[in-house]
Amino acid sequence: MTDSTITHSRVADSSVDVAPSRWQRIRQSNIWYNFTRDKIAMVSASIFAVLFLAAMLSPLIAPTNPYDLSNIDIMDSEIAPAWNEEGDERFLLGTDAQGRDMFSTILYGARISITIGFLAVMLQAIIGIAIGLIAGYRGGRVDNFLMRVADIQLSFSTMMVAIVVLAVFQASFGTELYSQLAMWMLILVIGIAEWPQYARTIRASVLAEKNKEYVEAARVMGFGAGRIMFRHILPNCLSPILVISTVQIANAIISEAALSFLGLGMPVSEPSLGSLISSGFEYIFSGSWWITVIPGAVLVVLVLVINLLGDWLRDVLNPKIYKA
Amino acid sequence: MLLFLFRRLMQGLVVMFVISLISFSIQDNLGDPLREMVGQSVSEAERQQLRDELGLNDPFLTQYGRFITKAVQGDLGTSYFFKEPALDVILGKMPATLELVFAATLIIIIISVPAGVYCAIRPNSMLTRAILGISILGISVPVFLTAIFSIYLFSIELGWLPSYGRGDQLVPLFARWETGFLTSDGLKHLVLPAVSLASIMLPLFIRLIRSEMVEALSTEYVKFAKAKGLTKTRVYFLHALKNTMLPVITVGGVQIGTMVAYTILTETVFQWPGMGFLFLEAVNRVDTPLIVAYLIVVGGVFVVVNTLVDLIYGLINPTVKLAGGNA
Amino acid sequence: MKKLVKSLAGIALATSLALSVNAASLKIAYDSDPVSLDPHEQLSGGTLQMSHMTFDPVVRWGKDHGFEARLAEKWERIDDNTMRFHLRKGVKFHSGNILTANDVKWTFERLVSSPDFKAVFPAGTEVKVVNDQTFDLVTKAPYPLILNSATYIFPMDSKFYSGEDDKGRDKGLLKKHGDSFASRNQSGTGPYIITERQQGVKVQFERFADYWDKKSPGNVDEITLTPIKENATRVAALLSGGVDFIFPVPPNDHDRIERNSDTDLVTLTGTRVITLQLNQERVEAFKDKRVRQAIVHAINNEAIVKKIMKGFATAAGQQGPKGYAGFSEDLTPRYDLKKAKQLMKAAGFEKGFTISMMAPNNRYINDAKIAQAVAGMLRKINVTVDLKTMPKAQYWPSFDERAADIMMIGWHADTEDSANFTEYLTACADADSGWGQYNSGNYCNTAIDGLVKAAGKETDPAKRTEMLQQVERELYEDAAYVPLHWQNLAWGARKGVQAEDVVNVMNFPYLGDLVVSEK
Repeated sequence: MTDSTITHSRVADSSVDVAPSRWQRIRQSNIWYNFTRDKIAMVSASIFAVLFLAAMLSPLIAPTNPYDLSNIDIMDSEIAPAWNEEGDERFLLGTDAQGRDMFSTILYGARISITIGFLAVMLQAIIGIAIGLIAGYRGGRVDNFLMRVADIQLSFSTMMVAIVVLAVFQASFGTELYSQLAMWMLILVIGIAEWPQYARTIRASVLAEKNKEYVEAARVMGFGAGRIMFRHILPNCLSPILVISTVQIANAIISEAALSFLGLGMPVSEPSLGSLISSGFEYIFSGSWWITVIPGAVLVVLVLVINLLGDWLRDVLNPKIYKA
Repeated sequence: MLLFLFRRLMQGLVVMFVISLISFSIQDNLGDPLREMVGQSVSEAERQQLRDELGLNDPFLTQYGRFITKAVQGDLGTSYFFKEPALDVILGKMPATLELVFAATLIIIIISVPAGVYCAIRPNSMLTRAILGISILGISVPVFLTAIFSIYLFSIELGWLPSYGRGDQLVPLFARWETGFLTSDGLKHLVLPAVSLASIMLPLFIRLIRSEMVEALSTEYVKFAKAKGLTKTRVYFLHALKNTMLPVITVGGVQIGTMVAYTILTETVFQWPGMGFLFLEAVNRVDTPLIVAYLIVVGGVFVVVNTLVDLIYGLINPTVKLAGGNA
Repeated sequence: MKKLVKSLAGIALATSLALSVNAASLKIAYDSDPVSLDPHEQLSGGTLQMSHMTFDPVVRWGKDHGFEARLAEKWERIDDNTMRFHLRKGVKFHSGNILTANDVKWTFERLVSSPDFKAVFPAGTEVKVVNDQTFDLVTKAPYPLILNSATYIFPMDSKFYSGEDDKGRDKGLLKKHGDSFASRNQSGTGPYIITERQQGVKVQFERFADYWDKKSPGNVDEITLTPIKENATRVAALLSGGVDFIFPVPPNDHDRIERNSDTDLVTLTGTRVITLQLNQERVEAFKDKRVRQAIVHAINNEAIVKKIMKGFATAAGQQGPKGYAGFSEDLTPRYDLKKAKQLMKAAGFEKGFTISMMAPNNRYINDAKIAQAVAGMLRKINVTVDLKTMPKAQYWPSFDERAADIMMIGWHADTEDSANFTEYLTACADADSGWGQYNSGNYCNTAIDGLVKAAGKETDPAKRTEMLQQVERELYEDAAYVPLHWQNLAWGARKGVQAEDVVNVMNFPYLGDLVVSEK
């Protein structure tokens, strides 16, 4: 085991692909070292940590529970943020059209959006990477078949997938259970609907990589196809994956909002970050900018730090670019 | 080469067949088309009668069989709303969408290549940080917000550009293709929708080109070329960029293909009379023949785009065998 | 430059037409365009808007809920069952044919064969031609609303629509789906001719040179109608000067249009009522009158109007709006949380219960937001609502299945009359007669049905009013349904477009009479 790892590192010049026992050491020596040296990475990581924790701990932090209807009063609707002349000190960031406290709603909404965004993209990535690797590496019929399946999947937009999944789900579980499981359904729908993005990108990279010497070498060494694909080729395809992932997380959060409109997303009484931003369409000419701009800013910051972290991570992990 | 194209054509037909089967089996979940066709006071009995006339009460296989028989003859059904063959309706709207996608692609190429290359060459300059920062912003702002803000700024506040449609100065090219590229009015109408559409993909392309370029720059032969004393421009654009283009074209080609799907939102906001807008309207009106036909056509577009991408890829990178050699 | 060319063209046209005011062109953006050029294919706002532009009715609604003479110069009641109409002389169709009573008869017979329009007249109604210029509308039984119904008769050019088209089909063929001659060609008597139509993209109208109404002040000789579905885009088109006249204007944007120095906002109190129905078959508790009353008392519909509709609606306590026969001033909204709680307690539901609710999210103005607000209000009497909102395409099938305990429905009476609301929304459901077709609450009170049926035959307006008022009162006291509000109508117009004079609550602006002055 150890032996082959060393051999491989020498051949592929890869530092990510190492046995678990060494993981600790690498992290200490390499990633961690880099991290402490990179100010942008540190700032991004801390902002991300703050946002993430605030969202996950929203029930503890938020002044009110915006999803509990008994807490809101329609007469409080569309109040400007507290620093504004027409503001109300009860509501730091103002209220939305139903009279929900925006600060609490953003925290709760971010929790939903982050969970859905990350898990759905993870699902996409897992399905997409596996299919892309197999298609690119095996080639021939397998490749053709998988890529045509991707074509079919792509022509059915997320919306169509959602409508079908909803119908199947409601038919088998009934409406009541649905509202409890809405979030998992969304993850499933968005995850299933957009894997071809990954699959095709990975396939393209694999095609470029698979004739390179290090793959040949690994093959000559007698490694199995699975090992070559995941351990040797995959690490070299990381940079497009990271580029796509950051885009996809933002996409997934917005998709979730679009699906809510179809009656498939989260219940309307539990708005997510995405639905708050989407409703911005209606408020664009009226004065109530805070309903969309503040959650929009939170999303932008969130995606921004994820991107910066992604960039940093790629630079560190990618053996070809890494310069000590 | 010909064999490759022939195989792809066959596969394309299979893809479309599967799409038709799936979309046919889900159409009942899209809503009741009758509701969109009749007024509020038409009774349930009369709706049932109409449904019978339309053949909507027949068993699934009967309906599908009828559809396939006609589809083989090139008839994908008749749109309830337009009362014209669904395929004609879609093909009539296709030029508008293709022009929009083409304009957006043009914008993407013109901006992303120099921006991406610059960011790779000067990783630490202020401009690079600015470009990357803005591109991340571009990713994070949903397209309809970009669209509506640009309408607000450029149409309402500044009054520079029209806010909707393609204008009325279109020049007929051939058949049903009317182009907006030949008049200044047509071009003006194109600006906002094309920029909004491009804004989704632009950041991705800049980042992709940048990261691929960074990799290319660190390769041995670029270092070697530099060492040989070639001019920097020559090294960057001739050696490095050429190698960057390979993955960019494959990934990019696929993304441009998906852009056809992204047009739905852009077209809706700008009232752009193309396929995407048509599709969303068809979903709202439960115009099932049109929905099915659209999905089939889009499936066809994906197959064509992928075939082209693979062809180009094969041309640029001779080591890839088109017919898909056995690994 | 473009503007200059346009105004030059305008001047040229004005001189050639010798109109007193400069002729103008108008760009309109509605949320939809007419589905078909056939006036009998679909009973919808879009079709009626088109009919008023390219056809002309026998009589039409005036501003004060009265009737204006159009193609019929005058009319008189001959007996309880017969109304006689006298047509104007020398009215020309777009084809050049002259309008006669035979055209009216032909049109009428076509109308009652249409599934959409047949319900406008009571079954068995006939048109009898007296002479070229005169016809009688004869009903089987006394029918008080004959003039209301006559507003739906838009005479078609029977000669133009006779014979076979190039595919060998009857030109008069009325086909709901698929291609027909009438769905693509038109000849009416109206002020405009359609010169170009790209469905879903635009419709181009040109003023009909031989239009009979020479007294009409209208000076618009060219109209372009563009459907713009997205609210924000439509408003933006008006604000940027891309179009001159839009409908509808979403409540959120009223301020913006009013504040803008180049645009005007025109609003009218509407006649479409938005209600909630409490399904007694799904929920046992809703059979208890006190529970229904508690729900009505718990919902603060005035707050909904103020906050969600931005004052752009009238809070309702009954079905028919002011001006309709059954309207009573004293049936007002009755929000009273304390009373609602007492009623729940009296009914033994102090602890409340959980119910499901469905509402559309793209059918009525702010529908989903209203539903959310209602859910919040019901929470205050311990009723937990599982709310689901969805697009109308999915909502209507769910409504037909009565898929939730509370459903939202809006209704506009095609007859512009109170009885129509009860007939469809609160009468006992009866598949044969079609009554109660939209009564998802399954409320049933045969006494009320009897009253409505009697009112349908009562030709004495005073007596009829009394009957319909009693219907509304009983429904009110019984809390048969939850009235929310009547939606207002709002148009946005460029300054100079004198829209106020031609719009009406039925929402078919009489654009033939529209005056537009230069910018």
